[in-house]
Parts: sequence; C-alpha cells; structure tokens
Amino acid sequence: MNYLRLLEMTSLKKMSSLFKSLLIVYFFFPLSYSQQIDFQSPQNIKLFANFLFCEKDYLRAVEEYQKYLQLIDDDSVQFKVAIGYSLMNDQTNALSKFGLIKKTSVFYDASKIQKLKSQFLINIDSIFYQSADLLINSNSIYSNNAYKLKNTSLLFFDKNLRSKENFLIPFGDDEKNKLSVFYNLKNNPPYKSETLAGIFSAIIPGSGKIYTENYGDGITAFLLTGLFTYLAYTNFEHDHPTRAWIFTALGSGFYAGNVYGSIASAQIFNAKVNFDFNEGVKLFLQEQNYFTPSYDFCK
Amino acid sequence: MIINKKYYLLFLFFLQFSSYAQTDWVRWEKFDPTYQKQDSYLQRDYDLSINSVSGLIVKPVINAYWFFVSDVDGANCPFYPSCSSFLAQSIKETNLLQGVAMFFDRFTRDTNVFGRLEHYPIYGKNHFYDPIALYTLDKEKIKIIPAKTFVNVE
Repeated sequence: MNYLRLLEMTSLKKMSSLFKSLLIVYFFFPLSYSQQIDFQSPQNIKLFANFLFCEKDYLRAVEEYQKYLQLIDDDSVQFKVAIGYSLMNDQTNALSKFGLIKKTSVFYDASKIQKLKSQFLINIDSIFYQSADLLINSNSIYSNNAYKLKNTSLLFFDKNLRSKENFLIPFGDDEKNKLSVFYNLKNNPPYKSETLAGIFSAIIPGSGKIYTENYGDGITAFLLTGLFTYLAYTNFEHDHPTRAWIFTALGSGFYAGNVYGSIASAQIFNAKVNFDFNEGVKLFLQEQNYFTPSYDFCK
Repeated sequence: MIINKKYYLLFLFFLQFSSYAQTDWVRWEKFDPTYQKQDSYLQRDYDLSINSVSGLIVKPVINAYWFFVSDVDGANCPFYPSCSSFLAQSIKETNLLQGVAMFFDRFTRDTNVFGRLEHYPIYGKNHFYDPIALYTLDKEKIKIIPAKTFVNVE
C-alpha cells in the first residue's frame, strides 16, 4: 500500500515538474521568435505607408514614403507623395514634389496636369496660364484636360470671355450643359440695379428692398415709415407740434434709412450673386476633380 | 523594533490617498459667487476721446444709453454688433449723415423678426452677424458669409 502511494506521489511530482517545464517552454517560445520581423525594412515601410495612404491618413503616409525614398528611388512612391500633399490641400509642397517626377517616369504626363491643378489652386495666375498653354500645345494625353481647366478658370476672372462656341470646344456633352449655364450667368449675371432700388424706395418705401428680394425688410420699412408719417401728420393736424416734429424726425430717418438700405441691399444681392456663382464653379471643378485623372492605388 | 512588512505596505498604501486628497481648507474657503450673466458679446467702448464733430454729438448720447439703459436692461439686440454699437461704428467709419441712415436701416432690420435664420450668419450662441462693412456702400468691403454659418470674430 505504502509502495503504491509512494509511486503515485512520485508520478505526481514528475507530472508537476513536466508541467512547469512546459510552461517555461511556452513562455520562451514567443520570445525566441520575437523581433524576427524587421519593421524598418524598405518593403515594410512601404507596406505601412500604403496602408496609411489607403486609410486617407496622408500626413503620416507621406512621412513614411519619405523614409522609404531615402532608401530606394521609386517614381510611383514619389508620385504618391505629391498626390498625398495635393489631397491634403498643401499645394505648395505638392507642386514641388510633382516637379521631381522625371521625364522617364510613367507618371510624367500625369504629374504635369496635377501641377496645373496645384498652380490653379494656389492662384498663381500668370504661371498657371503659361503652364496650361504649354500643356495644351504639347502631345500629352492630358492636353484636353488642361484646355478644360484653363477655360473653366476663366469664369473666375473679370476678363472678357471668348465666344461661347470657342469656350465650349474642349468639353464633353454633359459638361457642355453645365458650362453653358455658367457661361450665360457670367455674361448676364442676374444683378439688381442699385439706382433702381433707390428710386423704387424713394417712391414707395420698402419697394426697393422687395425688388432686391428682401421681402420682410421691405414690408417692415414700408410699415415703419408709414406709421411715423401718419403719427406726424395726425399730431400736426391735432396741434401737437412737439410730438409731431419728433415723429417727423423719426419718419424722415426711417425714410432715409429705407432708401439708403435699398441701395445697400442691391449691392449685397449682387455680391451674393457673384458668391453663389463662384461657389457653383468651384463645386463643379471639385466634382470633376479639376479634370485630373483619378487613381486607385488601394486596389 | 522590527516593523511588520505587511503593515508598513498597508500604511504606505493608505498614505497615498491622503497625500492626494483635497484639503478641507480648499473646500470650505470663502467664495463669492456672482449670479450676473457673463456675456463677452457686450464689449463696450466707452472711450470719449472725440475725433470728429459727429463723434462729439453722438458718442456721449450712446455712452449714456449704454450706461443708463442697455447695461441695466441686458443684451436684447439680436444682432452683433448691437444696434447702438452699429451706430457708433458706422459714424466712425463713414460720417454723421450716412451713419444715421445706416442706423435707421439697421433698426428696420431689427424690427423685422421673420426669416432671420435664413438671412444672417450666426454669431456666438444667439446673435445674428450683421457687420457694418456690408452697408458702407463700398463694394470692396462686402464679404458674403452664407446664412446659418457660425462666425467667430476676434
């Protein structure tokens, strides 16, 4: 019996020591494999940067790509760095990075149209038009895109636009419809005349504001001027000269304010027309991606 | 005397709470609460240094209005700048006659309570932004901010 018990205890001890040694092996096993991956290898840096780029974390992606470019010369990565800056709307850096793309690169032509987009967004007018003309007259596959961007950009400036037919030459049918509307708006903006607004309000208080589509203010101006004129009139009629003169002063003030305000209202209306027009063209350009090709680096 | 390690650790453990605890002196010290509504919207320029004849006529009246009426009554003007500030600024920016006309026009807008949200940008929590620059008749100064946009000037 004692012998059996001893045997049992021995086997238990053995089991316990075996278990302990297994535990040690278990914990040392990952250690032996750890740090085997070189995270700073060029391939891994590029993989991580690609991941960041596809996650739209362009700032960190560009940083990682720059690290990669210090080790390996890669034109596609250079192009992605420039695209990253462009997507972050850092057009100055984008412009300089697109300038680094070599003529031998497959991205050379694309970098030209991207540079044009950056120049347009930085508002370097003279350089933009020079570059646009160069690209239009070159044999690049993006010549027509440059032509489109140049013509659309003309809508922002007060220069005389060329004839509608010439203006619409580079555009496709869908684009033509929209740009035709913009062209007509540019040439005949639905402005309101400041003089007319002033005259209307001088004849019927508030009508100038109604003319400038400021209906609530127009009706209020009419009521206020009318009310104080009526109060002045009745007070004069009932021989209350002090009150009458106070109401006359107030009525005159509202009358003058209404004429002045109608002119200001027409100016604001016209400024809004310009603002809406510019916003519309900007939105159109954004929708068209500034006539630059779209890339899918994240397939 | 040998210190029991267990009790020593326990002592240290509880000591850390007391060292980080707020003292009663902070909690019960004298505090003067104010129930006055803090409003950065009302930044009065009481300066009486007169630079023009119009300033000589209008500024003391505006200062008196601010001191005796507006500051007591509260910030009731729905616009920023308030109507009285608008008058002061418009006279400063233009001249007495134009400034007064601008003020009457502003007062008309102030009286119209309809459709403000569709018309003006929003300043702060509950004011509409209606700057002087839009009404000086100088086209260069007009900067359009779409209605309902939150504006934070200064």
